[in-house]
Amino acid sequence: MLLLQLLINGVQAGALYALIAVGFSLIFGSTRIFHFAHGATFTIAAYVFYYVYSLLQLHWLAAVLAATVAAVAFGLAVNRLVYTPIQKHEGSFFTVFVASFGVGIIAQNVCGMLFGRAFVSVDTPLSRSVELLPDLYVSPLSGIAIVIALAFFAGLQAFLMRTHTGMALRALSDNPGLVRAYGLSPQRLSMAVFALGSLLVVPAAVLLAASSGLQPALGHHIMLISLAATIVGGVGSLRGAACAGLLLGLAENLALNWFEPQWSEAVTFIVLFLFILFRPAGFFGRTTVS
Amino acid sequence: MSRITTMLKAALLACGLLGASAAGAADVTIGALFPMSGPNASYGDIFGSGANLAAEHANADKLLSGKLSIQYEDSQALPQAGLIGMNKLVNVQKVPYVLSAFTGVSKAISTISSRTRTVAVNGGGVGPDLAELGPYFWNVIPLANVEVRSIIPYLVKERGLKRFVLVYVDDPLGQAIRKEMETTLPGAGGELVQALSVPVTAQQFSGVAARVRSANPDVVYIASYGSQQSQIVKQFRDNGIKQQFASYTAFSIPEINALPEAKGSLYTSQRMDWNSQDPVTKRFVDDYRARHGKLPTAYIANYYNAVRLFALLAHDLESKGLPVTGENLLKQRVETKTFDMVGGKITIDENGTVSMPMQINEIDGQGGKVVSAAEAG
Repeated sequence: MLLLQLLINGVQAGALYALIAVGFSLIFGSTRIFHFAHGATFTIAAYVFYYVYSLLQLHWLAAVLAATVAAVAFGLAVNRLVYTPIQKHEGSFFTVFVASFGVGIIAQNVCGMLFGRAFVSVDTPLSRSVELLPDLYVSPLSGIAIVIALAFFAGLQAFLMRTHTGMALRALSDNPGLVRAYGLSPQRLSMAVFALGSLLVVPAAVLLAASSGLQPALGHHIMLISLAATIVGGVGSLRGAACAGLLLGLAENLALNWFEPQWSEAVTFIVLFLFILFRPAGFFGRTTVS
Repeated sequence: MSRITTMLKAALLACGLLGASAAGAADVTIGALFPMSGPNASYGDIFGSGANLAAEHANADKLLSGKLSIQYEDSQALPQAGLIGMNKLVNVQKVPYVLSAFTGVSKAISTISSRTRTVAVNGGGVGPDLAELGPYFWNVIPLANVEVRSIIPYLVKERGLKRFVLVYVDDPLGQAIRKEMETTLPGAGGELVQALSVPVTAQQFSGVAARVRSANPDVVYIASYGSQQSQIVKQFRDNGIKQQFASYTAFSIPEINALPEAKGSLYTSQRMDWNSQDPVTKRFVDDYRARHGKLPTAYIANYYNAVRLFALLAHDLESKGLPVTGENLLKQRVETKTFDMVGGKITIDENGTVSMPMQINEIDGQGGKVVSAAEAG
């Protein structure tokens, strides 16, 4: 029963990790910007949800909407005000990374100043597990996480495959020069990528705020997971990032059946290490948005 | 014209130097290495509120000839960041006395403390190893071995809880608590059925909850701190753990007290009577309550005591015409031994630790209540 419990926990964690990783992978794959501040987007969305739902006590839909607006606005602002000027001055990949890292730290501290640096939690009955079978506890949030993750992936896939903007985004990751030749603006597409990538962290941020609680330093862990999933999945492969997120969530939880909890996080990085060693191109071996 | 300008410049420089030397001769700065960012930042605010109040009281009482101030450095509750801060305080600020917190940070800075003969005083870390860090490392808080020894007989004999699961953070503090539990529990009639270590940075505990449930304990002892312990408590309750929670002084922070899932949890702390008419305690409690609108906690009292201890020792040294150095502070502490502090007279033992009676508290969501008093283990 312990193994089944850990499997269910792993699927829930993996679904959330997949959503986070896909957002990061989409941005990185399309723009080649190492958006370290993606973790900060997650933290901001989670705190705005907490603020509107728990402190202002508004309806959860209003809180989700506010979190979405905040996350997308932050993603767009970082791209417009930080990355674009650096790239205009031909800043290197590393310069952009350092700037993004700085933005992440600033956002973390601003969240700490605005919402306090202590742990806060969103009180909802949905996070409380019910005993489905003897000694098998599942919270309603687990089911919600899985359904939302599947819905978002299906929506994203349809968007990328069937809309002009989606196809242009895929083209952007393949050949930005060609995109320009067709009269499309890489800058505008870049803004669309940041909006979409930031939007994808919102369900994970809301669900994690409700299931695990929040503190301003949460973004670092999110970034580690995003990075690991992007590499394991294959840089730029959204399907790969989603599968890798799920794999990491499962590995982290299933490891508890055999190892001490302190090793479960290490398992994530053992998986990452093995992929780098034996399959450096990742799950699907793609370097473009697929 | 240029001659006048030169003379003016010389006069300004002389005034500046005179002013600087006058200020430097009288004013005293001590250091503090507290977490001010990261998941344990809330502790920095708590510790600092006690330390600042003590400095204000010392200045108001004119215990020192000059102004006492505290230079804060952010340790993030991490040994490496703590070392950087300690180096800055000792080598740049040249402070004789540093407030320290967290077992890992305290152990990391203790070598610099010994080498440079700078007194380091801990009021928050409770790892038993902190009693063995040399003559320049002092503790004004009872250590974890005392806390564990105090709560185990209460849980086993008075509450009838015999099967323990320990969930501990994998650092010197957590390891020390595990060692103490393994030693103390069998003699008290209890059993440590499982000990699960979690990394300092872990934030997901639903899987650990499954392991805890499968061990079927009577009581879950949580040896963590900061945001992590709040996350453990919330996620354990959410994941079907209904058993009693127990912990140590780290549970005395407002965020745990306000957490609905923590209600009913038991934890140890040093015995403090906030209604005491002892003048030092009364002044501390009254002034703290006037500023913050609530009662202080043991942590706040500890850092108040740590700064007050410095002010008393420095006052004695100044009376003797001796400089306020780490070496002289140590000699004066050994000579004086007993001090009027918050909580009454406190005696510091030869090894730089304090022995105090303990109490067991229950979280009730309204500031906590004392359920039992225990003698120091």
